[in-house]
Amino acid sequence: MTFRTRLLLVFTVTVIVSVGIVEWMVTSATRQAFERMESQRADALVVQFRREFDRRGKEIVRAVRGIAASDASLSLAIAPDYAPYYNEAASLAETHGLDLLELVAGDGTIVSSAEWAARFGYKEDWLTAQADWTGRGAFLKREELPDGVALALLAVGTVNAGDRRLYVVGGQQLDSEFLSTLVLPAGMHVLLYRNLEPRFSPRELIDAAGPSSRAAELQALVEEATRRASEITRTVGSGAASETFYAVPLKGYEDNLLGVLLIGSSRRELVELEASLRRNGILVAIFGILMGVLMSAWAAARITRPVQRLAESAGKVAAGNWATTVEIASGDEVGKLAQAFNRMTHELVEQRERLVQAERVAAWRELARRLAHELKNPLFPLQITVENMQRARESYPEQFEEVFREGTHTLLAELANLKQIIGRFSDFAKMPAPEMQPVNFNQLAAETMKLFEAQFLQAHVTAKAELDPNLRAIPADPEQMTRVLRNLILNAIDAMPQGGALTIRTVALGAAVRLEISDTGQGLSPEECARLFTPYYTTKTHGTGLGLAIVQSVVSDHKGRISVESQPGRGTTFRIDLG
Amino acid sequence: MRSRWFAGHSVRIFVLGSVLAVAALAATRPHYGGTLRVEIRESIESADPPESGPGMADLAGAFAISRWEAGHRAIYTADENAAGGRPFLDAIDIDMGRPFREQAIDIEVGKADLVEIGPAEARRLPAGRPVWSSAPVRVMVLVFGARVEDARIREALSLAVDRAAILNVLLQRQGEISGALLPQWLSGYAFLFPASADMAKARALVASAPGMSRGFALGVEDPGLRPVADRIALNARDAGLAVSVTPQATAADARLVELRIVSSEPARALAAVAGALSLPMPARADSPEVLYEAERAMLDGFRVLPLFHLPDVYGAGPRVKGGPGISPLGEWRFENLWVEGGRP
Repeated sequence: MTFRTRLLLVFTVTVIVSVGIVEWMVTSATRQAFERMESQRADALVVQFRREFDRRGKEIVRAVRGIAASDASLSLAIAPDYAPYYNEAASLAETHGLDLLELVAGDGTIVSSAEWAARFGYKEDWLTAQADWTGRGAFLKREELPDGVALALLAVGTVNAGDRRLYVVGGQQLDSEFLSTLVLPAGMHVLLYRNLEPRFSPRELIDAAGPSSRAAELQALVEEATRRASEITRTVGSGAASETFYAVPLKGYEDNLLGVLLIGSSRRELVELEASLRRNGILVAIFGILMGVLMSAWAAARITRPVQRLAESAGKVAAGNWATTVEIASGDEVGKLAQAFNRMTHELVEQRERLVQAERVAAWRELARRLAHELKNPLFPLQITVENMQRARESYPEQFEEVFREGTHTLLAELANLKQIIGRFSDFAKMPAPEMQPVNFNQLAAETMKLFEAQFLQAHVTAKAELDPNLRAIPADPEQMTRVLRNLILNAIDAMPQGGALTIRTVALGAAVRLEISDTGQGLSPEECARLFTPYYTTKTHGTGLGLAIVQSVVSDHKGRISVESQPGRGTTFRIDLG
Repeated sequence: MRSRWFAGHSVRIFVLGSVLAVAALAATRPHYGGTLRVEIRESIESADPPESGPGMADLAGAFAISRWEAGHRAIYTADENAAGGRPFLDAIDIDMGRPFREQAIDIEVGKADLVEIGPAEARRLPAGRPVWSSAPVRVMVLVFGARVEDARIREALSLAVDRAAILNVLLQRQGEISGALLPQWLSGYAFLFPASADMAKARALVASAPGMSRGFALGVEDPGLRPVADRIALNARDAGLAVSVTPQATAADARLVELRIVSSEPARALAAVAGALSLPMPARADSPEVLYEAERAMLDGFRVLPLFHLPDVYGAGPRVKGGPGISPLGEWRFENLWVEGGRP
């Protein structure tokens, strides 16, 4: 992946993430605001319900006390026989707008029941259990009716006539009709679960229209509210159909939980608002991404163009063109980088020149040292011989002839040595350009080895050729390559003064050729390997140090590569790759 | 025998044992003419006026039907050639299908002259208003259908019903508690049939019965009997039975009905009751002992639970003179009545 692509990607991701974060923040803030508002609405509704509940309670208390204070109740209270009044409660309840009304004698016996006329004569022990009902307001109570159990808001009034007492128990059912009278804000509705059964009963969940069809989905909420006996808030359903429900437990006069009021608030508005925000967010994000792509493309191009120029210039430097420079178009970081690059290439060029100069000086010094060394060796015998000859002529004239004869022989030998030395230097200096022709290196290696058979015998060296039959002929100068092989073979023989094994190996590398000359000599240290091809460097006590330099020069002229692999005590292998 | 009261006589008659109490304040002398406006609960849907049984059929002989609207209205006019002499009234206008409550209101506001008095309305009658009551001539029974197979359930219900509470409150003490089909005044042995409640025993019987048999429907077609049926259902619930009250008696497992004692001769009356209840006809009884055994046989198995014997009770308006207008068996005897404000 290019830097430009990466930059583009980073820009795009940044835009998407930024838009996403903004979208999330807006949605989150909106949701919080909405839910805060919902909570306020629900609180208001709960307060409204409680107020309505209290108002109804007061109405019931008023109605019940009205009945208790009526002449009819007083007549009943003092009646010697209650039997004629068994139907009295129904008409009184109707007159006072009560769903439920029971007239109960002082001993708790029902005299008349509006809601269940047949219950006359039955006992209401809970009434007599409490001594004074005077200050008690309305309360919730579980009421048994002919068709089941109901939740009722009741009040108790008492009629005292002498030593006789009559209880008036009246109230209203908390049913669908009661719920339908509650005024609710739009989008909100209320349900009531009447906790009258030991377990959750779907038919006890009602709304303003009657039994609710949502019992299954609200069961968990009702059960949790019943278990906790405290107000809880839960979201029911999903999507636009989801609703937030506030469950308010309703307790009875004995502090027992008799019902759960469920105030539902539709989340449709919130969901639609969120969907709208999401839609807008996506549109903004798409626009932002497009803009981001365009801007990032422009910015990336602006940033990467000079970087690209720098990369191209660096490539040129790597290719050897150290004089390469980059145009400095700005003063920013990239400009400074270009400036540093130019300074670096300039210093590289200068250093290279200094290095070449230093190497040149070093080479001349080495050459001088080698020349001095090489020339000093034959010159010293020459000087001694000449001095011996002078001393013999002056001191021993009778022996001069003999000394002269021996001296001139020595002089000639040393002069021949000097000539040879000079010839080698001359050869190195006059290295000609290779004359290329197809060369079979297997054949060349075999012929060259043949030339050294006598030397191998003398030096106790076992020569072996491992020639690859698949080797193809490649263009090379056979004369120069023969010289290369000869130099390497001679080096190998010199490296094995006690004798050893010499192996010449050819390997076909596709169209290329590899030549390897291995010996089992004393080997070379890494430092020696590093300086091995330096002209005039030698590890031997004799020699000019030009042999391997010539080898490297020839191989280089053939566009080949020579390397050495050696470890002290394990021999040395020279490897030449050509073609 | 027919008896007449004439102007100038103020009569109060007490008939002990037959529970007939009639109070009438007679005018100085009877007037001919006038129409007696009668209201009854029953709606007789037959094409022709009834020719037997109590009520309208009793008018035959002194009155003749002049208008018949089945289920709604009947007008009888005086028969000038009646064997016992022309009745004082010119006509009797009978309005059918009127509930007790409406009858009570109608007599109160003067729209009716003679109405039936239901238990709930008895205490609402103004003091001094003539009330004519017959002997207990109706028997209220609970009849089980074939679906209630377990005799323990039937007996449990018989023991669970608190007859005293029903009589005292719902029936306002009109009538008698009874465990027999024939009333005491007719058979003389009705007290031998147990009628007291025993809730503990009822619960034990229910507990011993299979759970599936513990619920049944009690049908009651007559809305006037509905409070009694509701109370029976409540008592049954206390015993562990699940009894639902339904107005569709035909689909119910048990029925609450009233039967009229149609004869003052016990054997014939029992036979009539057996016939009405589709029970086997009792053997011909020449003695109270045999009749008792016959009735006991009919009640064995608790298929029929006699509950109460009830009288016919009528309330007369202030214009009605010459009462009582019913016999101890509840028969209409309107030929001796007249209304104030009739023809001079």
